Amino acid sequence: MRITRRSLALAVLPLVTVAPAASLPRPAVLARQSTPATIDLVRLGWADVGVPTPFRVSTAGPGGPVLLTLLYDTLTWKDEEGIIPWLATAWTVSADGLDYTFDLAPGVQWHDGQPLTAEDVVFSFDYYVAHPYRWASTAAVASASVIAPDQLRVRLAEPYAPFLDEIAGGVPIIPRHVWAGVADPLTYDGPGASVGSGPYMLAEYQSADGAYQLIANPGYFRGPVLVDEFQQLNTPPETQIQAVQQGELDLAYTPDASVAGLFADDPRVRVFATAPQSIVRLAVNTELAPLDRQEVRQAIAYALNRAQIATVVTRGEPIVGDGVIPPESPWFNPDVPTYPFDPERARELLGGETYTIEMLAGPANREPELMAPMLEAVGITLVTERVDGPTRTQLLREGNFQLGLIQHIGTGGDPDFLRRWYAGEEANDYAQGSFFADPAFDRLAREQATALDLARRKEAVFQMQAILAEELPTIVLYHRRFYWVYDSTKIAPMETWGGLMNGIPFVHNKLIFLPR
Amino acid sequence: MAWLLARYTGLANILVLLNFALPRLLPGDPLDVDSAEGMNAAVSTLTAEARAQLRATYHLDQPLTGQFWAYLQDLGHGDLGWSISQSAPVSQLIGERLPWTLALMLTALIIAGVGGTLLGLVSAWRGGRLDRLIVSTASGLAAIPEFLVAIALLLSFAVGLGWFPLHGGRSVFAPGPPGSAGPLGTFGDIAWHLTLPALTLVLAATASFVLLTRGMVQAILTAPYLTTARAKGLAEPAVALRHAFPNALLPVLTLFGLRVGQVLGGAIVVERVFAVPGLGLLAFEAIRARDYPVLQAIFLLSSLGVLLVNLAADLAYRWLEPRRGG
Repeated sequence: MRITRRSLALAVLPLVTVAPAASLPRPAVLARQSTPATIDLVRLGWADVGVPTPFRVSTAGPGGPVLLTLLYDTLTWKDEEGIIPWLATAWTVSADGLDYTFDLAPGVQWHDGQPLTAEDVVFSFDYYVAHPYRWASTAAVASASVIAPDQLRVRLAEPYAPFLDEIAGGVPIIPRHVWAGVADPLTYDGPGASVGSGPYMLAEYQSADGAYQLIANPGYFRGPVLVDEFQQLNTPPETQIQAVQQGELDLAYTPDASVAGLFADDPRVRVFATAPQSIVRLAVNTELAPLDRQEVRQAIAYALNRAQIATVVTRGEPIVGDGVIPPESPWFNPDVPTYPFDPERARELLGGETYTIEMLAGPANREPELMAPMLEAVGITLVTERVDGPTRTQLLREGNFQLGLIQHIGTGGDPDFLRRWYAGEEANDYAQGSFFADPAFDRLAREQATALDLARRKEAVFQMQAILAEELPTIVLYHRRFYWVYDSTKIAPMETWGGLMNGIPFVHNKLIFLPR
Repeated sequence: MAWLLARYTGLANILVLLNFALPRLLPGDPLDVDSAEGMNAAVSTLTAEARAQLRATYHLDQPLTGQFWAYLQDLGHGDLGWSISQSAPVSQLIGERLPWTLALMLTALIIAGVGGTLLGLVSAWRGGRLDRLIVSTASGLAAIPEFLVAIALLLSFAVGLGWFPLHGGRSVFAPGPPGSAGPLGTFGDIAWHLTLPALTLVLAATASFVLLTRGMVQAILTAPYLTTARAKGLAEPAVALRHAFPNALLPVLTLFGLRVGQVLGGAIVVERVFAVPGLGLLAFEAIRARDYPVLQAIFLLSSLGVLLVNLAADLAYRWLEPRRGG
């Protein structure tokens, strides 16, 4: 038993040094460092994301699609300010919003030395019809046609406002000479399977270890790549931050805000806080009593001290908002109805009635314990059913729930996801459990999706947020930042406008590997 | 004998059916994929049509009987199927992971088996304070949940002291040309990575060998043939090793065999904590992803492993004790 106690004491020791939370440096404080001339190697801690081709990569999380952005290019890209030209140097849109004409950058080559032409781009959109890219749907594209070797036209079925961001900026362009003869890309691992035009070329994928070795593309069309080698390693989340500290990794993330205090005095390791692009919210089944009544949903919002819940769970400054779109997003409407912590108002809305409400939550969620006494105080007994991810998704999809506690990223990207959730068009996990039928919302949702005018679109998106906050088919608990711990002598993290692609809070935008 | 083989064949058939059914009894769907512990974030804009197309690709749209028939046919050809979550042949995934599990589990089992048996022998032979110390330490360690031991070792020797790596089974992409580290360098690197995971397993598995050996030896401490051996003038260690030990060995070997049968299931907890790319970690990931083909294959391997060891034990008993018949 002596040995037991001693090893336990040893185990607790490092935990104690991690525990004290510190005040949060805001992104502005963590200013961008200038990138040194050339760096040998940068290592990112993440998970195994599968075989790195557009058809076999895992789309269970953002790690695979982001890895592909280093191997492949897209027509457009994003920097800190917004959408920028990439493979396409310029584009024009027809007056009806249906035809996009793209001019391609000159001299772009695939990793195998073949030239990238308009034929490849058109081929990519054609090929994705039969073999969809699982991360970004190209369903809005009706056809694509070559105009000249360096010019092409994409025709949409109907105007689609997020096209330049989510499709032109999210769908990897693939080489025709590799894929034209491939009938089943889900099993293809022949030559060129990972050949793209991106700043990095795949050197090796160690599938058992889930590790990727990428080397700089010497002929990259946007100039010399500043980091010679990039590795993505499969590391358990529990020890990732330690691995950066010990120099085994150069970049890793945690949702725990207290990490900022750990490295406050570290000359080498720093922390970069992203915009709040992750949301923790309750999906509400508005078709089942008593949550079919707006006043019960509002009472829940008033009853919860959401700032306290956020502070306890994230150990940082709480970011509470009543809109699904997070603050700091260009689409954020600051004037939506709000529900400050007000148990008295909640009791009033419930009119003395008491309820028992069931909530689905994950095995590790801490929110239910914090929520239960707050709801009990206004007469609602919260019964939490803890299930794993796939179980929860199934129950949400079947409508077999009252409340579902979910957390996900993507809310900082293009706001069309709001329409897709409630129109039932999106098949990912977090669109499930979206039960809300409101004619005014549906009309605005269609209007913003097809709007050609940015100001009009923004107005519609603002009104959609106001309706959601008033009707509460989902109750936002809080928004979260992600904290990227990095070796400041090797890498300079970057916040991408609206997140990478469709709202991914990764900070290794390919721009940081290039001269700017 | 024929009846015995028929019984085992019947059991194997039931196992195949169970291995097919159990993963599918879990709620959820292989296409309901949650982020791999990362951002809890499926922001993919997968449309309902694309989802339906994927279901058809993986035959998830067929009725269960059709899926089972297809599984049996594939199995008949030695085809373990295609991993839905990893988009790779299951046989390839298992082939890559199996050596890690075997290296880790067998090393730990041999150390625990030999060490535990010797400690049990010493404990029973010497008695007194040493006996109490060995028994309480071994059973104390076995009583701590494996994940706690793993985390304690990780925090103290990898995080705290930095003597061992934080994760993985080897250093991937080591600098220099492939193979430049030499076989010794490669072996050393793997041994360095597997020390803490193996130690965790050893600490957990030693107690059962200690207690079993100790019990067996204690039972024969006063046996007349030991008195005879001493009367011949043999020294105590020789009496213990040559006369007492062989008589206590049979149950220990049975225990060892049973443990070997369980090796193929991998060590889910230990492989997960230390990120050792073995079958246990593969199983863990496959359960979370509801990856039916991978789960079926791992369950099949590990249950057949247990079955084969049991069959071997049955046959061995028959050989050792013909009176049992059957």
